[in-house]
Amino acid sequence: MKNWNVRLKAGVAILAVFLILGFVFPLFHPGNPIDWSAYPKNLKPSAAHWFGTTNLGQDTFWLLAKSIQNSFIIGILVAFFATVIGALLGLLAGFKGGFVDRLITLFTDSFIVIPSLPILILLGTLLKGRASLLYIALILIVFNWPWPARQLRAMALSLRERDFIHTALFSGMSTFSIIVKEIFPFVAGWSLANFVNTILVAIGSESGLAVIGMSSNEKATLGTMIYWANQHQAMLAGRWWWIGSPVIAIALIFIALFLTMTGYQQYSALRRGK
Amino acid sequence: MRRNRGIVCWLLAVVLLLSACTKTGGDAQPAAGGAGTGTKPAETGQPASGSGGGKMTDVGTPRSQTLIVDILSGRSADPDRMNPYVPGAVPMDSGLHQLIYSNLWEIDTVKGKQIPDLAATMPEPLDNTNTKFRFKLQEGLAWSDGVEFTADDVVYTSDMLLKTKELGYSGYYSSLVKSMKAIDKTTIEVETVQPETRLAQKLGVVIWGTAFRVMPKHIWEKEDPTKFKFTDPVGVGPYKLSKRDPQGNWFLYEKRQDWQKSDIGKLVGEPGPQYILFKYFGPEEKRIMAAISHEMDILQDITPESWDVLRQKNTFAKAWYENFPYADMNDPCERGMSLNAAKAPYDNPDVRWALTLLTDIKNVSMATFGGMLRASPIELPPISVLQDNYHKPMTPWLKDFQLSDGYKPFDDSYAKDMVDMLKQQGVKGLPTDAKEMTDTFGVGWYKYDPAEAAKLLQKAGFKKQGDKWLKPDGTPWKLTINAPANFEVQSMRLAFAVADSWRKNGIDVNVQQMDAATFWDAESTGNFEVGSYWPACGLLPDSTSNFQGWHKKYIVPVGQQAPGNRNRWASDRVSSLIDELNGLKSDDPKVIQNITEINKEFVKGMPFIPMFGTSKFVPVDTYYWSGFQTSKNEFEGPWWWWSQFKYYTPHYKPTGK
Amino acid sequence: MDFYKFLLSRILTFVLVVFIGITAVFFVPRFLPSDPVEAMIGQLTSKSAFMDPKAIETMRTTLNESFGLQGSLLQQYFGFFKRVLITHDFGPSLANYPAPVGELIGRALPWTMGLLLTSTIISWAIGNVVGLLAGFRKEKAYSKLLEAISIALYPIPYYIFALVLIMVFAYIVPIFPLSSTFQGDGFTWERIKSLVVGSTLPALSMILVGTGWWVISMKTLSAGIAEEDYVHFARLKGLKERKIMSRYVLPNAALPQVTMLALQLGTIFNGALVTEILFGYPGVGTLIYTGILQADYNLIMGTITISILAVAGATFVVDFLYPFLDPRVRYK
Repeated sequence: MKNWNVRLKAGVAILAVFLILGFVFPLFHPGNPIDWSAYPKNLKPSAAHWFGTTNLGQDTFWLLAKSIQNSFIIGILVAFFATVIGALLGLLAGFKGGFVDRLITLFTDSFIVIPSLPILILLGTLLKGRASLLYIALILIVFNWPWPARQLRAMALSLRERDFIHTALFSGMSTFSIIVKEIFPFVAGWSLANFVNTILVAIGSESGLAVIGMSSNEKATLGTMIYWANQHQAMLAGRWWWIGSPVIAIALIFIALFLTMTGYQQYSALRRGK
Repeated sequence: MRRNRGIVCWLLAVVLLLSACTKTGGDAQPAAGGAGTGTKPAETGQPASGSGGGKMTDVGTPRSQTLIVDILSGRSADPDRMNPYVPGAVPMDSGLHQLIYSNLWEIDTVKGKQIPDLAATMPEPLDNTNTKFRFKLQEGLAWSDGVEFTADDVVYTSDMLLKTKELGYSGYYSSLVKSMKAIDKTTIEVETVQPETRLAQKLGVVIWGTAFRVMPKHIWEKEDPTKFKFTDPVGVGPYKLSKRDPQGNWFLYEKRQDWQKSDIGKLVGEPGPQYILFKYFGPEEKRIMAAISHEMDILQDITPESWDVLRQKNTFAKAWYENFPYADMNDPCERGMSLNAAKAPYDNPDVRWALTLLTDIKNVSMATFGGMLRASPIELPPISVLQDNYHKPMTPWLKDFQLSDGYKPFDDSYAKDMVDMLKQQGVKGLPTDAKEMTDTFGVGWYKYDPAEAAKLLQKAGFKKQGDKWLKPDGTPWKLTINAPANFEVQSMRLAFAVADSWRKNGIDVNVQQMDAATFWDAESTGNFEVGSYWPACGLLPDSTSNFQGWHKKYIVPVGQQAPGNRNRWASDRVSSLIDELNGLKSDDPKVIQNITEINKEFVKGMPFIPMFGTSKFVPVDTYYWSGFQTSKNEFEGPWWWWSQFKYYTPHYKPTGK
Repeated sequence: MDFYKFLLSRILTFVLVVFIGITAVFFVPRFLPSDPVEAMIGQLTSKSAFMDPKAIETMRTTLNESFGLQGSLLQQYFGFFKRVLITHDFGPSLANYPAPVGELIGRALPWTMGLLLTSTIISWAIGNVVGLLAGFRKEKAYSKLLEAISIALYPIPYYIFALVLIMVFAYIVPIFPLSSTFQGDGFTWERIKSLVVGSTLPALSMILVGTGWWVISMKTLSAGIAEEDYVHFARLKGLKERKIMSRYVLPNAALPQVTMLALQLGTIFNGALVTEILFGYPGVGTLIYTGILQADYNLIMGTITISILAVAGATFVVDFLYPFLDPRVRYK
């Protein structure tokens, strides 16, 4: 801990606050935070309602806590699986070359060329609103793994020609361990950036779907919170606590992740003595 | 088009000079500065220095003489297409049918009756078979290109429709009209296929507009009606199209120089605005900003929250009522929950009634539109004319009405309770006497009684486990409500509010927001359990046409597209009452009696749980224009997207700002 | 010889990818419970609130006929390919019948291209410069500031960000018009002026939000390269930091960024739905969106086919150019 730089400390601290807010606080809230007319409408922030109440009579604080939880779950699930799948397939293709490469490239490219928004809307319609958050996460994974795959394939193509890979190959290491042990460290930084970005993309796509009414708007997520606030003109009406809290939460979560990521890179660079 | 533009340029130049002379000094409204920047006199060919006087709109007309109107259905993908008979989405409500096209018969919504427009009389039957009619046309009218309007145009339109099978409307028209012929320049005789008792309702306007629009023979006869774009539309209405946005965001109309020869010029008088600009500003936030900064005079369909913002930031903005509930409630459709009688367990009237009694109507009203809603317990919208004819006379029957177990579900205290509830929240200007309360909030609704609902459900074989309901087959009761996704906001919100109410009573409710194509397809094919649809409409006391679709002969199996009766609710009595109605003349006193009986059947069966009339927030800005209709000046309703808009224009006068 | 083999395999992949993509986009919407005719009838009835059941029935028959929706799915599928390959025509738009889809796209495409090409390239350039500085000269105050700004703007949901821009610059301080009105025809000064005035805000919003990712990506890449041995050698050799940055770090870090840019440029054919909606800007995004809302199969197919071709084309070009840009990669 004591060698941690400012970025890392700040990032981890903010992240911890949000994790506690999202995963610990909701445990102390009796009842369902998305129920309507539970409290008087449009109260400004006060001691009783820290972040005020919404036009639908929900307590903004508890709603936000629940939303952070759900959005985190979606974001992390999507980012983790999309990055892992993307990295493995991309590196494998770039490293192996030949038929495997062509097959994987064909697969990724087919996914890349299909524009995601229309398909997301179409799938949203197919789900008939029974879309659990898990399902939304699944769809987002499907559309988010090909990008890192393609990018990492390109990186692997260039790494493959390096000497140490040749050495590793001649020493008889298996493909999988070369990818994991020799190549991955070189692309770990980029993958981490992609991971962080995908969390944001996932939260963002979910709220993008929500804005046009295609997410499950009865579940509390940061996206649906923005949706309802927009629906009720929170911004023009000056109800900043309602529209502001999910927006600031998204921004802070991302900044925290970004600080953690870059802080960690600096930290590990320092540890390697460079 | 090019010649038109030349005239516009010339006119503009004159106007510019005039306004430069009469008005010196800049405009004092800084907030509205955005509109004019950068785009001023491009089209007029005038140097920028010439416009020192009044503010200009961004299409180059003087703001003080331009009425700016919101476009309800938004941007048009193809702004050149004005042919009303091709099936695609012609930008009809972006001014086209409001200002240019005229119809044979229009509607007076205040009196609740039809009035002649292009026609001079209502159709008179020639014998007692009800298949031959005669009507006269107005004399001395002309198309906006100067050619005289005669019976030949009407007959041409009719023949064209009968002949051109490719047009979507042709099939229906051919099943209605056998032939039309011109006796002389202003007399027409019609022969119908079947005996018709309501020909004017079928060919003229009842609600919004009508499909039968008379087209100019001298232009159309040279074209192929299936391909013709009619890019420069010509009509008998008081305005003509002078400019349009190639991107379809706005349409500028100019008053005809020979407006005396338009239908409105003859029937009402000279329209006030020299220019009318129909413009789409984008999402609601932007439309509100435009209205606050006086860049838009007439807004269409905004949410109550937006109205609150507008009211506070623009003191010139006026809604229908000066005080709460502000919104106009005379829209001809009511909103509620449609139940699919072809799907278990919603095929059981007890279950449908249980859902009714599980609806906490006051909270639903608050959550949907902040309480600005008029409740309706029957199958007709609670508009003034219909309230007087049906809702109020039926109240004693409703009070006595019993469910199968003798329970009386009706509760007439809704209006009073709402007033009390709103008073507590600090709302001012609420109605005080009982009649006014009923006129505003409706005659009452059904009780919120989970205990009675539980009885009905248990009778239907449902069981309660913990606080959740199980269906007769022992599985948890899951229910999906279909709702529009981001269109028809009131219905969409109603779905969420009702879901909230039912969920609190142990049903696992889920709202499914659907885009237009899926939403309507699900209703038509019966692929829904509960839907926030609006099959209950009506405007005239004779609402026979609105009940047509409920005839049991239109029921088709789930999975097939139904032309009518999409709730798939079969009632022999309703069907025979409809048959009887079709044989009666519109003014027969038995009509109202029969429709009252139909309504009683709907209350008993509850295939559609009626809830609220539609509350329309269609505010106007009185900064540049005056004379708008309001509850205090009710020459017409605020139906800016209807073809009767042209009738309002003579009432509007510039304020001189 | 290797090169031709490579070329052939890439072309084959291109064709296959396009084929798979189009097939998917053809079938997915048709398995949906939606129907263009029903959407149209629904729209009419919801507005006019009254349509005789008989009228609905006859209208449905007529429209199904004119829209060419009869025949089995497979027949329609082959019909589509036949039409596109032989007559290069996407058929009429169903929601805007009988306007040809090609015409609608042709009208929207220049707007989309103009806006997105400019904003994508500008944000790519800015993002790379900032990212390079943030990655390689991270101790400098200005690079920290630039990085902070772009990172803070990036995560704000675009809809909200654009709305705030509109509120600030078109409503509170009305520098720009609330809705873009494009005036004039042809290549005139008035037209250019109105284009600039009308497009500034939409472009600005996209650039500000779009830069963030390039910054992050470039920063990570250049920070990684800064640790490479050859950079250390260069430093030991006494080369100036600026020279190391432009000679060693930039070319190596830019490579993946060029790939991404090419792909990004391919996706601009999807349009920018939210921008178009919020700013009232014409473009392809709205076309695709209305196509889906109205179940306008022809419009969906037309717009998406073009987008698929563009993205596939971009990936093709990237793969092709890669060996030129990176001498370590050979055609294989």
